[in-house]
Amino acid sequence: MAALEYFEVECPEPLGAEYYRQIANDVLLDHNLLKVVEKLHIWIDPKVPVFVAVGTLRRITTLVRVRDFVNVNPLEGKMTLVISDETYMAPMLKIFWEKFGKDHVEQPDRFTVMLYDVKADPREIEEIVVADPSESLFRDLIYALRCIAPEGFRLRKEKFDKTKFSFVASENTLAEDIDALVAEKFALIGVKP
Amino acid sequence: MMLVPVTYKGGIYQHDIITDLIEDLGGYIVQKHIIASEVVLQCFVPKEDIELIRRIGKPLFGEVTDSPLVGTEIAVVSMSLEIHHLPHPSCDIAEYVRRIGAKSNMVSLARGPGKRIAGLNDEERDVINEHDLAVFLLGNFETCIEYKIPKLRRGIDVPVILCGGPDEAALRRITDPPFDGYVGGVGRFMRRTKEAEQLEKLDEIIRVITGVVEKKREAIAKDPLSVSPARLMDLIREKVPAILEVTSPTPLTVQMRGLRVKLPFDTFAETLKKMEIEDGITLGDVAEVLPSRMRDYILVKILPFSETNMVV
Repeated sequence: MAALEYFEVECPEPLGAEYYRQIANDVLLDHNLLKVVEKLHIWIDPKVPVFVAVGTLRRITTLVRVRDFVNVNPLEGKMTLVISDETYMAPMLKIFWEKFGKDHVEQPDRFTVMLYDVKADPREIEEIVVADPSESLFRDLIYALRCIAPEGFRLRKEKFDKTKFSFVASENTLAEDIDALVAEKFALIGVKP
Repeated sequence: MMLVPVTYKGGIYQHDIITDLIEDLGGYIVQKHIIASEVVLQCFVPKEDIELIRRIGKPLFGEVTDSPLVGTEIAVVSMSLEIHHLPHPSCDIAEYVRRIGAKSNMVSLARGPGKRIAGLNDEERDVINEHDLAVFLLGNFETCIEYKIPKLRRGIDVPVILCGGPDEAALRRITDPPFDGYVGGVGRFMRRTKEAEQLEKLDEIIRVITGVVEKKREAIAKDPLSVSPARLMDLIREKVPAILEVTSPTPLTVQMRGLRVKLPFDTFAETLKKMEIEDGITLGDVAEVLPSRMRDYILVKILPFSETNMVV
């Protein structure tokens, strides 16, 4: 887990902590969140029972542009776009339809898009912003933390802002002083809640 | 004649030679799968004729391997159907057990997860009890397993193998009375089992299951069943043609002490009871025909010799 600056799982049962470290690692990896999360501290006490995850986030400034996954080849009267990664194909087509109209956009196969009679400069097309990964970040992060937390822990309290997050879950009503526990865990990663 | 469970794998070309041979030798084919150009037969064959099948199967690229779990139906009990427990490890284990001949069913509990909130309802209990044995897949924390396991095992009377994150010694310590088998270090995980270490764990589960199945077979041998489940399967296939129209992969599921017949109970229970096995002895004389809790299937429980005083 090289991408995280700090990653710790604390639990009164050492073997349980080891397993949860592995689960957290796998889930963050599967959801492509390793680049986004900077520090992560997880505290699980199965006796209470309670699951607390606190962490900090990296700033995501990169926007996904057409040039990141497309090769634009202009020819007379038409442009051939060769796609190397299909992930953002749908939002890209949507933007093209709005901008140029459906009559001018054609997709003959999975990895090719043709633009006909488009007056725009190829460079201009390359610069079009297709997606902003930070938009779905919080949704993805909450989903990932729900996957990491034990399933029976269905009472949750989440707090997110642009730089840090906390996630508390339990199967019992959360204690009134749960914020103190969260603050304590935040202190371990050097952050003020 | 002692029948042993084996798997035959070979080319599809002329595989009917093998199926005929097994039937002629007095064996039974429990399941037949045709996968592309390969055929897999899970069957019971006479022990002394295995070499003969090997010899005849050789020109057809046939291989005969021991499959101790053929003719068993195993419940893999997962705590829920959520992403937390599926597809790993529940499906991985169910699939691995299937490879060596068992018919595995996944039973997911409605309120399995958690510690205080975990529980087992009557339908789940009955469905688990319809199997030959159950593999309980629990989580990673000793505290939770210790707390919830008395509730989850209540009313379960089939042998249970307990799998969980803590090591085997810890699992043994926290469960009383002891289960029939334990496999430690297999709790909740979120990755596919493909590395050598993880496959070794799956093999360990198989070893434990095989041990429990063999013990059960020994117990059955002391008081043999009135009719062999595999024979009954063949007879039902022959005498109740409606079973041939069932599209389920295993319309007749052989268990160690009976059969699951995937036909509606109300329509076919009487037909089954009246089905003649041999010399006027009907199925109703040697077995109980019961409604299954799984859909509207029929469960045939074969009675032992001590109760019927006959073996057909």
